Amino acid sequence: MQEGRVLSTREVNRDLLRSILDSPRWFWPVVTVLGLILLVAAIAIGIMVNRGLGVTGLNRPVAWGFFITNFVFWIGISHAGVMLSAILRLAKAEWRRPATRAAEVLTLFSLMTAMIMPIIHTGRPWRILYWAFPYDFARGIWPNIRTPLVWDPSAILTYLTSSTLFVIIALIPDFAVLRDHTTGIAHRVYGVLAMGWEGNARQWKLQIIAGVLLSALILPVFVSVHSIVSWDFGMAVTVKSWHSTVFAPYFVVGAVHSGVSAVAFVLILLRWCYGWQDYIRHEHIDALGRLLIVVATGWFYFLVMELLFGMYGRESDELAVRQLQFTQWPYNAWFIVFVVTTYFIPVILWLSRAWRRNLWIMSIACISVNIGMWLERYLIIVPGLTNKQVFTFVWAEYAPQPIEILIVGATFALVTTLMLLFSRVFPLVPLYDVKEGDILKTEMKVGRRTVPATFRED
Amino acid sequence: MANSGVQQHSGGYGHGQHAGMWVFPEAEQVTGDVAGKTFALPSGYKLALGAAAVLTVLGVIGFLMKLAGGGFANPGPWGYYVGVFSFIFMVTGAAPLVACAFRFTKSHWRRPASRVAELFAVVGVVNIILFIPLMLALPPIYNPESPGTEVLAQQRELGNAAECCLPGATDLEVRRTLWFEVPLGAPHLWDWLGLLGLAVCGVALLWLSARPDLAQAYYTATGWRRTLYGLVSGGWYGTKKQWNAQKAGLALLGAWYFMLLIFVQFLFVTDYAMSMVPGWKDSVLPPMYTVMSFQSALSMILLILFIMRRKGGYEGYIGKAPFWSASKILLGLTLLWTYHLFAFFITYWYGRLEHEENIIRYVFTQPYLILFLGNFVFSFVAPFLTLIWNPVRRSDWGPTLAGCFALFGSLLFNLRTFNAAFNTGEHFEFALTRVPAAVWPNLADVFIILGGLGLVALVYMLAAKVAPLLSIWEVKEGAKYQKMDTLIKGEYLVLAKPE
Repeated sequence: MQEGRVLSTREVNRDLLRSILDSPRWFWPVVTVLGLILLVAAIAIGIMVNRGLGVTGLNRPVAWGFFITNFVFWIGISHAGVMLSAILRLAKAEWRRPATRAAEVLTLFSLMTAMIMPIIHTGRPWRILYWAFPYDFARGIWPNIRTPLVWDPSAILTYLTSSTLFVIIALIPDFAVLRDHTTGIAHRVYGVLAMGWEGNARQWKLQIIAGVLLSALILPVFVSVHSIVSWDFGMAVTVKSWHSTVFAPYFVVGAVHSGVSAVAFVLILLRWCYGWQDYIRHEHIDALGRLLIVVATGWFYFLVMELLFGMYGRESDELAVRQLQFTQWPYNAWFIVFVVTTYFIPVILWLSRAWRRNLWIMSIACISVNIGMWLERYLIIVPGLTNKQVFTFVWAEYAPQPIEILIVGATFALVTTLMLLFSRVFPLVPLYDVKEGDILKTEMKVGRRTVPATFRED
Repeated sequence: MANSGVQQHSGGYGHGQHAGMWVFPEAEQVTGDVAGKTFALPSGYKLALGAAAVLTVLGVIGFLMKLAGGGFANPGPWGYYVGVFSFIFMVTGAAPLVACAFRFTKSHWRRPASRVAELFAVVGVVNIILFIPLMLALPPIYNPESPGTEVLAQQRELGNAAECCLPGATDLEVRRTLWFEVPLGAPHLWDWLGLLGLAVCGVALLWLSARPDLAQAYYTATGWRRTLYGLVSGGWYGTKKQWNAQKAGLALLGAWYFMLLIFVQFLFVTDYAMSMVPGWKDSVLPPMYTVMSFQSALSMILLILFIMRRKGGYEGYIGKAPFWSASKILLGLTLLWTYHLFAFFITYWYGRLEHEENIIRYVFTQPYLILFLGNFVFSFVAPFLTLIWNPVRRSDWGPTLAGCFALFGSLLFNLRTFNAAFNTGEHFEFALTRVPAAVWPNLADVFIILGGLGLVALVYMLAAKVAPLLSIWEVKEGAKYQKMDTLIKGEYLVLAKPE
């Protein structure tokens, strides 16, 4: 039997537009609290800009710390959108339908958040202009276009642009539904956004083609973004443990791991907050859990490659970094926490079908993955830079300061706020996709059993 | 219609439905029809068997020539042998996994391809024998010419093993390998044991999967076949308990085979390629090798499906759906392989370290440039340009053509990589300080390459006359899970997906 009941168009519209047409009671108090956190973080950034990076734990040689760790983390989360939306759309996985919009929107907001981190990290954000527009010719300050630090913004902005297009294209039919369900200014705004959508055959055909084309085109961009982020590290031959050829796929798979876990958690939250039990069902979370077992195992394989080949070279400098990671406090403790939370705890939980369908357990597993993945980036960046090298005489260890912890913590509040505000204006579960799924859904009699089935076009 | 009792929809569907994409075999007639095809020995098949046997004999001659020309004293001459072995291992090792993976994802299109893939497990047994000369050709981990070997042994007894390989030394006491503490028999014996485990697991997988079909074939076969089928399918009655046990067994063995395959591939490519080139530390090589093995295995399966469909009389069982679905995966794997290659190349190229530049020059851009270009064109450019077109992907010849390109590219990759690794000249240096010259194949090498390929074809074709090339129970099961039905104004395929 099919899980969940087939819903009428009226029911789908009513349920999925509820978050837009009527604010739940908890909505504004939660947004206010999050806004206060963001205000405090903004003040902290102001203090840091005013007093300089000395208020952080950054020093020589550890010039990259919490901010860059957080940058890589949010870039990773942003990979969920394309993974779920584009790949599963191309693969015609039916269970993707309720998850795609939330994944795509999470991509947008996590990318925006990620982009803020290096800007904050510079300590003098306005000086970024020097790199983009080097007006100070007299002193010969030119940006080095061959550095991955220049490739980064190019890749991220391309990804942001294509992801935004991806979201908008998928939103057009839903804008039209909103246009037809609202009055006054809202009606006019949604009308403009719907771009004259009437739902005729030609428009649907164009919309589907655009979706498939964008899915195919966005995939290389998606892979390139985290690959380039990984090459920020991989190209640096002087920092031992970073110059590894596997970094690009390792980072991409890790990003998908953390991103899909984050999407699963967001879907569970949406189900709780908006009562979307008929849309985000246990079967969807179950399917995400199964997908995550494969992704997690792939990621673990790359981790083993990275660690093993780190030691394979038997170069004393690199062995020293590994020694720092594995044996020296506090990195050794963090390392154990990282491996256990990223792989062993979640995968053990995901192996059981009953546990994959238990939303509390799935939430714990998904949060666990993201704690681990954040630590992974920290353990790549900090011990590598902390390791003492010859002919370097100014030396200090890195310890994050409260101002960094506050700013990094506030980025989670930022993404949550943006997601909440989005859900107040646009549907976070795609209406037309859910309706299409319901139309294609059917059942088949095999022997004495009735089994779920789907209409296929190919 | 080539087969009685087999329907093939040839058009007339609603928009979006493509002619011949899915076929609708009638479950009742599959067994007899496929058994008849398995037992038959047409003249074309005999001819192919004969050609494969001749190639195998040539391979044996080439091997003997190589043996007479200097034995195993120098690893260099065995470079092409390692290359062709690696190609065979790549294709035949990964093929059974293709069946497991798509069974795991419950993909309906895999049904006619499952047995084609699993049957390669039989060649896995041949791999164990082919690997034995490689154990002799691989140089030892300890440097036999190093004056410090005795000192090293003393150090090891004192527990100071890491002292053996200080950077900066021109020669290493031990080669850089994965076998840090050099356990007894490493790496030769351990690699061979890995291959043995893989072969045993593969055969177990094949047996478990083929058991219901062999039990049915028992009733139609006569003579030695009947005795054999009775032995291997003993006790199979098709009870619910047996089907559940088979399902669980296939899942468990599939998972185990997957882990073992990845591990053995990792050991093999590291021991026989990377550790032979001084200073080559490349953590993306094992994943790249694995991705290429999936690409090659899928290509080989498509090629066999195409031959079965066009020449073997199986068109009633093999629609275009397996080609269409596999083509998208083949395209993905093609891109993934290129991505891994680029990840390696850019890291080494941008790093500008002298020994890494030498490795790029040696394996890619200088002595083996032609092989590299051939490898790149056939593994990426040609399959990519073929598979990006929707109409080509929807045909049976398009994905097969792309598969043929990929297989040739894979052969070139293996010949280039392993032959270059075996011919660096000095395997105990800390880093590659020069670019060695290329070594091109002589007559014995050509015989060995042809013989290796012929042997695989021979063993596979013989196996296909014992076990049916079509997984009968899966095709019959699939027939129950698919039908045409009307949706709004058009007729569409309906696929069931039971849990």
